[in-house]
Amino acid sequence: MTDIALQTRGLGVKYGNFHALAEVDLQIRRNSVHSIIGPNGACKTTLFHALTGRVRASSGRIELDGRDITDTSDDDRVRLGIARSFQVTSLFPNLALRENLRLAAQGRTPWQALAPWRRAEANAEALAIADEVIERLALAPVSNRLAGELSHGQQRRLEVGMAMAARPRVILLDEPTSGMGIDDIEAMKQLIRDLGRDHTVLFIEHNMGIVMNISDMVTVMRLGRKLVEGPPAQVRDDPEVQRAYLGNMITGDIA
Amino acid sequence: MNPLDKPYAQLALAVLAVLVLPLFLKSGILATEILIFAMVVAACNLLLGYTGLLSFGQGIFFGIGTYAAGICLTRWQIPVPVVLASAAVLGAATATLVGWLSIRRQGVYFVMLTLAFSQLFYFVAYTFSGVTGGDNGLLGVPRPSVGGTALNAPWSYYTYVAVCFVAVFAILVMVTQSTFGRTLLAIRENEGRAAAIGFPTKLFKLEAFAISGAVTAFGGALHAMLIGVAPLSNIEYHTSELILIMTIIGGSSSLFGSVLGAGFYLLLADALSTVWPRWLLLLGLVLVTVALFLQRGLWGLVERGYDLVFRRERAPETPAEEH
Repeated sequence: MTDIALQTRGLGVKYGNFHALAEVDLQIRRNSVHSIIGPNGACKTTLFHALTGRVRASSGRIELDGRDITDTSDDDRVRLGIARSFQVTSLFPNLALRENLRLAAQGRTPWQALAPWRRAEANAEALAIADEVIERLALAPVSNRLAGELSHGQQRRLEVGMAMAARPRVILLDEPTSGMGIDDIEAMKQLIRDLGRDHTVLFIEHNMGIVMNISDMVTVMRLGRKLVEGPPAQVRDDPEVQRAYLGNMITGDIA
Repeated sequence: MNPLDKPYAQLALAVLAVLVLPLFLKSGILATEILIFAMVVAACNLLLGYTGLLSFGQGIFFGIGTYAAGICLTRWQIPVPVVLASAAVLGAATATLVGWLSIRRQGVYFVMLTLAFSQLFYFVAYTFSGVTGGDNGLLGVPRPSVGGTALNAPWSYYTYVAVCFVAVFAILVMVTQSTFGRTLLAIRENEGRAAAIGFPTKLFKLEAFAISGAVTAFGGALHAMLIGVAPLSNIEYHTSELILIMTIIGGSSSLFGSVLGAGFYLLLADALSTVWPRWLLLLGLVLVTVALFLQRGLWGLVERGYDLVFRRERAPETPAEEH
């Protein structure tokens, strides 16, 4: 096995005639926390769509642990070990929180779920994973409530939990702190840092405090292309990044 | 969750319905028809309520089952259990084909595709009158016999259908309670997310179609034996519409709601048609009422009634603490 968990070469995505992504080369090291930053419209989410298979790459290739997954469908990629959370919360609102996580855990072995005689509770492993994630996200008091009835902060945590429950090798988090209160943000920061121990974490974030503090590597994107890449301190001080593209967006201090 | 929605409660209600119908109805034919449509409507509910698929193709599967019984029983004297089983298999196969082509599109386009297939199969049945009897249908479909005696008396055939109904209903309850059924609910709720967590959603929809088609064709075969004819009208678009209307009136959140929907429609039609030839107009008003005020259908009404009687004294649930 190589040291690189996820890699893209010359990745491009087209929406009609619009080149959303072009020639993106990424190398995500195993068990690292790698963040993607860039102004709105940099097509960071499109990059995630391409990596998870929701959108097909129009050029280039994507490799997971050295294996070409460019033409693999999105649900197959989950089984290979890629899971994601969404920028806009995407849950099963009329199902209980615990059921949301049980489904996410079951998603790793979906063929089992095709048997119309097998009871959901028979998959003890999925239930155990769901409970473990609930514990880790401190959502136990609300685990039987409908996902749609949770507070925004709880929904955002559950959103990340949905990705965790798939036990992925690579976990992609799309703006996990968007709309969160200050206390919740601190907890999320801890969580992402912890996730980096067991998983490879790739995350999109606007909160520079988090990015600069917990990332091993930062990639700056602009208009669908990679601009600069490097460790946080280097990216923060890069005059080109500061002057030309982000201005005073980088305000977070390295603790 | 309302205790009436629990699987055993649903099954108990279905058994109760089977026992109660003979006490209140004079016509064994009508009672049998209610049970047949009850299972067919419950199968439609599997698609509409559990998977979120509004299928206008249910009449195709019903008609396929009708013709399977008609052809097998009038030409080859095949034993009835074998006929019922092959009707179910044929229904599942047809539903898989129709579903496989239709689920490629979503929303309105999906509905239009099932509608188009419904018309297509009707004209196929109409055109190949050598096989289907065309406008006349296939006449002289015999009743099944148990222990050497044909079940020609209405209530003895009712018993036969009742056993089938309870078995089919139990299977459908099992399906909706299984990990498969719960994945269907997830797909209905948010298909994009269901795919993102790893479920091949098309395959799940296809399986739901196959199960629904099998049950519907099974019901179609029982219907042919009930009326002694395999009529062209069973594969008509109108049958699809009828099944959908019953599903919506009954309420799509519970399987027993479908039994209520079928019973309500057929009893109302029976009562109104003797009063006024334009009874379909009144039925339209009932549908408007359901669509405007009873979106959870008759089952929603039952749930509300239950809450009113048994839960009035209970305090509202306290919100769990956030921390």
